[in-house]
Amino acid sequence: MTTKMKRRINRILLWVLIVLMAVWMLFPFYWAINSSFKSEGMLAMTPTTFIPRDPVTREVSFFTRNYEAVFTNQAFLRGIVNSVIVATSVTLLSLAIGSFAGFALGKLRYRGKTATLYVILAMTMFPAIAVLTGLYAMINNLGIPPIPSMIITYMLFTLPFTAWVLTAFFRELPTEIFQSAQVDGASPFQTFYMIMLPLTAPALVTTGLLAFIGAWNEYLFALTFTSIAPDARTLPVIIANFPSQFSRQIPFGEIMAGGIVSSVPLIALVFIFQRRIVAGLTAGAVKG
Amino acid sequence: MARQGGSDLARREQRLAYWLLAPTFIILLAIAIYPLFSVFYTSFTNNVFASAAPTEFVGFQNYQRLLSMTIRQLPPRLDEAGRPIVDPNTGAVQYESAVTVLPREPIRFRPVTQFDLFGTRYVLGATDPNFIRAVWDTIVFAVATVFLELVLGMIVALIVNANFKGRGFMRAIILIPWAIPTAVSSQMWAYMLQPNRTGFFNTVFWYLGLGNGEIPFLSDPAWQLPSMIMIDVWKTTPFMALLLLAGLQLIPGDIYEAADVDGAGPVRQFFQLTLPLLKGTIAVALVFRTLDALRVFDLFQIVLGQARYSMASFTYYELIQNRQMGYSSASSVVIFLVLSVFAVTYMRSLGVKSDDH
Repeated sequence: MTTKMKRRINRILLWVLIVLMAVWMLFPFYWAINSSFKSEGMLAMTPTTFIPRDPVTREVSFFTRNYEAVFTNQAFLRGIVNSVIVATSVTLLSLAIGSFAGFALGKLRYRGKTATLYVILAMTMFPAIAVLTGLYAMINNLGIPPIPSMIITYMLFTLPFTAWVLTAFFRELPTEIFQSAQVDGASPFQTFYMIMLPLTAPALVTTGLLAFIGAWNEYLFALTFTSIAPDARTLPVIIANFPSQFSRQIPFGEIMAGGIVSSVPLIALVFIFQRRIVAGLTAGAVKG
Repeated sequence: MARQGGSDLARREQRLAYWLLAPTFIILLAIAIYPLFSVFYTSFTNNVFASAAPTEFVGFQNYQRLLSMTIRQLPPRLDEAGRPIVDPNTGAVQYESAVTVLPREPIRFRPVTQFDLFGTRYVLGATDPNFIRAVWDTIVFAVATVFLELVLGMIVALIVNANFKGRGFMRAIILIPWAIPTAVSSQMWAYMLQPNRTGFFNTVFWYLGLGNGEIPFLSDPAWQLPSMIMIDVWKTTPFMALLLLAGLQLIPGDIYEAADVDGAGPVRQFFQLTLPLLKGTIAVALVFRTLDALRVFDLFQIVLGQARYSMASFTYYELIQNRQMGYSSASSVVIFLVLSVFAVTYMRSLGVKSDDH
């Protein structure tokens, strides 16, 4: 009887913790949604309200002009296009190039393998800020436009990570497949392309997702390389330096609406691919 | 096709390996190694971006300006009789202005902070107080966030490792703070931290009877770092939790069954079984997160701008705002060296598994 009671108390305690955790994780997001449905007058109310309320009548009322403003804001719309172009290109390039490297590192025998593994691992931790000045000078000297600049430089963090995680996946594929394909007369590259690559499809999805999220969220390079090219700005730069259309103060309502819009694709990915994302994140950091 | 000897096959395999690795290494050479060397080189020059002045080699001058510090004793202010002036209201001794004791030649030192030691007042001066403060703040930020994230991340990991209905859903929920762009979450929190009751925190504190509802969380120096730490802990605890969860899942369940039989309670089980078995995972997670925290940029730049710098945002403003290529390169190098120390520790603790010999 006491064990049963104990178990029930534990159960209740667990659920209390679960609820607390969920509130902590979600509340800022709820607050952003709440604020995105407020007009300037509603945002200026003191004390603030936990659901959008009319300042005079105090009735619950949702103000949707912020979303209209965001979707008619040329800079924001261009930001969506830029972000999609940059994140997609970075993802595809990293997967293509990274899977080559991952296959070589995980399955092929060659001299200097340990050294190359160390280089890739070291690169996964390379601080972007350390080369910011150098990249900025290089891009200006070569006259590379901002969008290609972002696509190329984002590979600084997506490529080593992709290669590193794919190496781990390739290594786990049974060597017999590789050997029997070679016995059947397939060249190593054919083996890679026609047999191994399809087998790593799940790993490609995982690393692709992480590369996409990383590129979508990147801020430092985007901010620096578009400092004199507003048309090339990606969503994070636009959200952080929001160009106001209507209000003269900081347009927090629009910023929140814009922030929600730019987060929705990521939240959708998280819910669809939760398992894969968790697997990829931990593979990158824990597996050796 | 005729079958060839093993060594020929091996040679072919090796050649293929080099070809497959070439694109990755060429790209990394172009966007990491070359710029890194150019940053090292530029850090020894007085290069100013888009300036007509010729670039000259200046040796360690940038580093000197960045890192020079001095500690001077600060004498109390004396009245005509030679006695220290004491504030009649607070009883505090009045000190001379810090700039009077700091050296001015060849480069002017400016005060960073003052502190008391054995009843004497000292002043810490630096040629670039902003950078010294940025380094100090970044380290404080990193230590505090990583520690809090470890504790909270462990709790979160233990929760989502327990068996309950909707566990998969909860794991997706804890991914949300990690997944949304830092630019967005920084703006979200900046709005919640507004310095009046339009902000969430001021409203709640005011309802609870704490503060006057006008706490300047982001402009009062005393509140700035705690605010940054709170935001970052929210944003990155999920990542820490997932790393720890991966470690938890590697622990075989029968260990706990044996402990149950022995009558060890859950708290004892955690400290005597789980924690020691997680040591490796925790070490890796700590260094990994420390590296990340030390290069924090987005959060500081977006929320605090130039009110208070992290090492990375200092570098950014020197480059973009002041166009000081040489000087910002030097600060990049300092960051790189600090991070390298941590990275080497990380590599050591992780180790590389290579199966070719």
